Amino acid sequence: MSTKRSLPFNSITGEEIEGLEQPGYYPGYSTLGQQKKWDDATRSTVVDRVNKTPPIRFFTEDEAQLLNAIIARVLPQDDRAVARVIPILPAIDQRLYKNELNGFRYEGMPPDREAYRLALKAFDEMAQQRFHAPFIDLSVHRQELILKSVHDGKPDPPHPVWEQMPIHRFWGLLMEDCVTAYYSHPWAWDEIGFGGPAYPRGYMRLENGLPEPWEKEEQRYEWSAPVDSVSTLDEEGAPEHGTVHGHGGSH
Amino acid sequence: MKREVHRLGPMQTLPTPMRKFRDNEAVDYCIVGVGSAGGVLVQRLARAGFRVVGLEAGPFWDTEEDWVSDEKGSHELYWNDLRITGGKDPLALGSNNSGKGVGGGSVHWAAFAPRFHPSDFRVYSEDGVGADWPISYWDLKPYYELLEREIPIAGPAWFPWGDPHGHPYGPHPLGGVGDVLVRGCTKLGIRTVAGGPVAILSASHGDRPHCIYRGFCLQGCKVGAKASTLITHVPDAITHGAEVRAHCMASRISLRDDGRVDGVVYFDREGKEHFQRARAVIVSGYAIETPRLLLNSACPGHRHGLANSSGTLGKYLMAQAGNVVAGRFDELIRLYKAPPAHALTEEFYETDKRRDFARGFAIQTVGPLPVAFAKQMIAAMGAWGWGLRRVMMDYNHWATLGVLGEILPWEDNCVELAEEKDQYGLRVAKVTFNLHDNDKKLIEFGKKKVIEVMWAAGAKQVVQESRYAHLVGAARMGSDPSSSVVDKFGRTHDIPNLFICDGSILPTQGSANPGLTIQALAARTADYLIKQGDAIFFSNHRDQNEPGIRYDLSPPYTRFKGNPRLA
Repeated sequence: MSTKRSLPFNSITGEEIEGLEQPGYYPGYSTLGQQKKWDDATRSTVVDRVNKTPPIRFFTEDEAQLLNAIIARVLPQDDRAVARVIPILPAIDQRLYKNELNGFRYEGMPPDREAYRLALKAFDEMAQQRFHAPFIDLSVHRQELILKSVHDGKPDPPHPVWEQMPIHRFWGLLMEDCVTAYYSHPWAWDEIGFGGPAYPRGYMRLENGLPEPWEKEEQRYEWSAPVDSVSTLDEEGAPEHGTVHGHGGSH
Repeated sequence: MKREVHRLGPMQTLPTPMRKFRDNEAVDYCIVGVGSAGGVLVQRLARAGFRVVGLEAGPFWDTEEDWVSDEKGSHELYWNDLRITGGKDPLALGSNNSGKGVGGGSVHWAAFAPRFHPSDFRVYSEDGVGADWPISYWDLKPYYELLEREIPIAGPAWFPWGDPHGHPYGPHPLGGVGDVLVRGCTKLGIRTVAGGPVAILSASHGDRPHCIYRGFCLQGCKVGAKASTLITHVPDAITHGAEVRAHCMASRISLRDDGRVDGVVYFDREGKEHFQRARAVIVSGYAIETPRLLLNSACPGHRHGLANSSGTLGKYLMAQAGNVVAGRFDELIRLYKAPPAHALTEEFYETDKRRDFARGFAIQTVGPLPVAFAKQMIAAMGAWGWGLRRVMMDYNHWATLGVLGEILPWEDNCVELAEEKDQYGLRVAKVTFNLHDNDKKLIEFGKKKVIEVMWAAGAKQVVQESRYAHLVGAARMGSDPSSSVVDKFGRTHDIPNLFICDGSILPTQGSANPGLTIQALAARTADYLIKQGDAIFFSNHRDQNEPGIRYDLSPPYTRFKGNPRLA
């Protein structure tokens, strides 16, 4: 019997973690609560992101359902209350619908739109081949096994799409699109304790990790990934393919 | 609510009205690209009385309306149009290194502003690799000093490397990441400087306020504290009669029968084609768009692109190694505060005979905001799923330091034209990049050194991500027309009234961020053009004498500041 949810748990009490309004170590911290201190342009950009979820226009209904299942594993939010789940699929769909580019494409990669369609087909056929069911019907654990094989660059089972398109490039594309949607959302800023927009007010406490008066002190708790999950951090570090390079401009 | 004035920061406004030239009105100079170099050029040439139009492919930013304190919302600051990137070690483009809009890359640079070292101009002579510049550090030094005052640069009282010097504005306070750099280096006996050199105000300058340490430098500084030519030079250019025409994508430089250029063909925002007549053209489109435009301008007599008789146009493209080393600390760092660029060491900058490679690297602070940091964790740790959520919950415990390593100029690292076309029907650039043996050894050594610094600072976990920073070369300057594209003043060897002035003319790149050097070179080229006067427009004579620096062409508020220096 398949379940589409997979819950992390408190490492001390063993209690499952779910329905959280705000995961992370900064309870009560709200960047949106500071919005009166932001400039107009920033406020409208961020508030629109929260209030206006774009409709699905690029993907078909089936594709959208499948990609949503993939996103739910590569950037899981099972610990979050349903009303506090950060929309990722709509952001990706909007980018592809508008055909917004990021300024380059790797040689050997198809255009982003095509890359997504090819990969979705591959994921579904891999699921059929390995577990004899569509991807969305698989257990979370089995879904993750397929995804992890793509993450590792060793697709199991192999699929012709991954000979056509460099597998680690697609994985990078998918992950970057997902984190761009998730970590640009103020609920994610609350989760990680990021200060958020800070103009025109600025910051006053630069050293020693001190919080500003409107930020919160960290309150850590120990938690474990769901028992059936294979997406925990690999202490060995980076994947082997040394050609994966960062895309964020940092200096 | 549409504001009636064009804002350049909370207080500064764009001078009005801006002069408008008609297309068929021949201007003296048409400058393609109003970025780090183009911004300085339009300002200098307009002040000297020339009729100047700057064509800019992107928008003319109103910083209050168009810019946001938000990573995703700042996507439009970058050159997002399609480019193909390949080779064994393909470069990431877009937000990594390519700006679009008035101010160009200086809008989204982190604003580290170190000078090149004297040795950077003599790499071939000293190390037998790379190339020599046709000028020396000492030719450029007065322009470094002048631009450090005009921008102006904040930094330590004593910068001990290269040609030691001080800075016109005082250093910035230390943030958490700078603290890690200083702590780790000091433990290992490595000298550091903190609080700069950066093109960010530590005290008010004219109508620009000082930094408020909000950390969004790469997203465009709404405060107006970080310098971009949009706010440092373009307003003065407008005041002195230059026109900066936004949303104009140059498609071709037009050549007359007599072998001189007579203007630039471009598309406006609606896709309508125009032709701006000009008596001379300066291409300032940076290391990809500059060669692309010249290659796309191929015509009878110049089948392989304009100014490409040497065959070197598009070649010797360089990026710097920009590996990021991230360390996790038990204590909180909160790396989003303070400018990402605020402490560094150049202790490993020069060739060291004890190492098995030529040239060196710098170590600098970087300060990725959440989306950029998540991308780094994907690359550095292979993070995904719950592992990604977990490492991101520790965002405030991480500090990030960057290697900035010199990669040498190689012929096979190049910009060519791909078969694919963009929205204007122009062939897009194809960029090829391969690391060579010296580069690989240098990166390996640099990476290990930064990892060592991170452990020494007390990190509990250290990971690293390979990446590249900046783009220069691809239209290099040199004295020999058979192995370079432009002479030491940026004049193309082939066409007497066609110039190139931007990062693409750099023969080598050192381990210093290129922004300050690009602007210093632009001011020097401007002095040359002004000294030559109308001769540029009709004479084929090449005067190779230094023009002598002009101190009377600076934007306002530049006087009464100093450059602490050795006598």
